[in-house]
Amino acid sequence: MSSSISSPTLQVCRACSGGAPVDAHFCPQCSKILALGRHGDYFTFLGLPRKLKLDAEDLEQRFRRLSRQFHPDYFYNATPAERRASLERSSYLNDAYRTLRQSIARIEYLLQIEGLAPKNPQEASRQVPPALLEEVFALNEELDEIRDLRASGASAEVWKGRLEGARQPIEAKRVEHESQLQELSARWDALVDAGAGESDRRAALEALRDRFLERNYINNLLAGIERELNS
Amino acid sequence: MAYSNKVIDHYENPRNVGSLPKDDVNVGTGLVGAPECGDVMKLQVKVNPATGVIDDAKFKTFGCGSAIASSSLATEWLKGKTVDEAMAIKNTDIVNELSLPPVKIHCSVLAEDAIKAAIADYKKKQGVERSAEKAAQPTA
Ligand code: FES
Repeated sequence: MSSSISSPTLQVCRACSGGAPVDAHFCPQCSKILALGRHGDYFTFLGLPRKLKLDAEDLEQRFRRLSRQFHPDYFYNATPAERRASLERSSYLNDAYRTLRQSIARIEYLLQIEGLAPKNPQEASRQVPPALLEEVFALNEELDEIRDLRASGASAEVWKGRLEGARQPIEAKRVEHESQLQELSARWDALVDAGAGESDRRAALEALRDRFLERNYINNLLAGIERELNS
Repeated sequence: MAYSNKVIDHYENPRNVGSLPKDDVNVGTGLVGAPECGDVMKLQVKVNPATGVIDDAKFKTFGCGSAIASSSLATEWLKGKTVDEAMAIKNTDIVNELSLPPVKIHCSVLAEDAIKAAIADYKKKQGVERSAEKAAQPTA
């Protein structure tokens, strides 16, 4: 699984044919910008370890430094290949920054590069625990009933009370979900630091993935309740 | 995003919304969800034990218009089919009938999954029922 084992650690500079480390942005020999060919991932691109806890300020500094270095203005008079490389690196950098900046997108990205993202919707839907679906379905039905109640002219006190009752368990679930994500993220980072083996790493990632299956359900339900309260 | 007329029709006049008695041995229930959007779909079939033909189907979907339309269409198609014919319904049939765009294919997948889950539940109940009858016989 670990891509660092199988992927090459060197790339060839197209300008001087010298060898450069795969994650270098500029050729160490001729100092020309390197074409964005085979390379690692958003983490390595930014020179970061593959960890989930990330210092936002450090990330931003890295982003700014690289974005200056790649800036197309500096390549105005360069060869077409270099101009292209500067554009490609700039745009990849933007994607990397946008993704890694947000903790949720960061986890999703990690799951994806570690090969844990579901391959297709069928696979994803089969992973959702039935108990969660039951719960979500029941809460949705309750919301429907509350809407009917409102439509039939029930007092605000009555329907709001019921809505609040529906919100509490799901809100509690959200809080628990967030803390589980944090805990599992910390576990993953500790495993990376410890250079843990494949099976431990995999178990941590699978636990993270399982948590992600419930995330949209929780958010949708809470959004539905919010909408009802504010309409 | 533009929905086709057929999607809009099913969305505005969904067929067969509701539920069937979950504990009835001739009723199969499928409850499925799509984690990427957080939608849930429940689809139920009622099978005539004498003929093996589905004579009623109901659904309830909390989700996007395409998911509602897909499940509504599925219930229409299911009525009058045998259990085996029902198992042959493919999500691509739904995509074609409703002209779903690529980004909405997973909604039709949900409907196919719901059909399969409902039939599997029905079969399981029948299996359990039959072995319960067998088990009951010797003591009678
Ligand atoms: S968007 Fe989720 S089922 Fe259609």
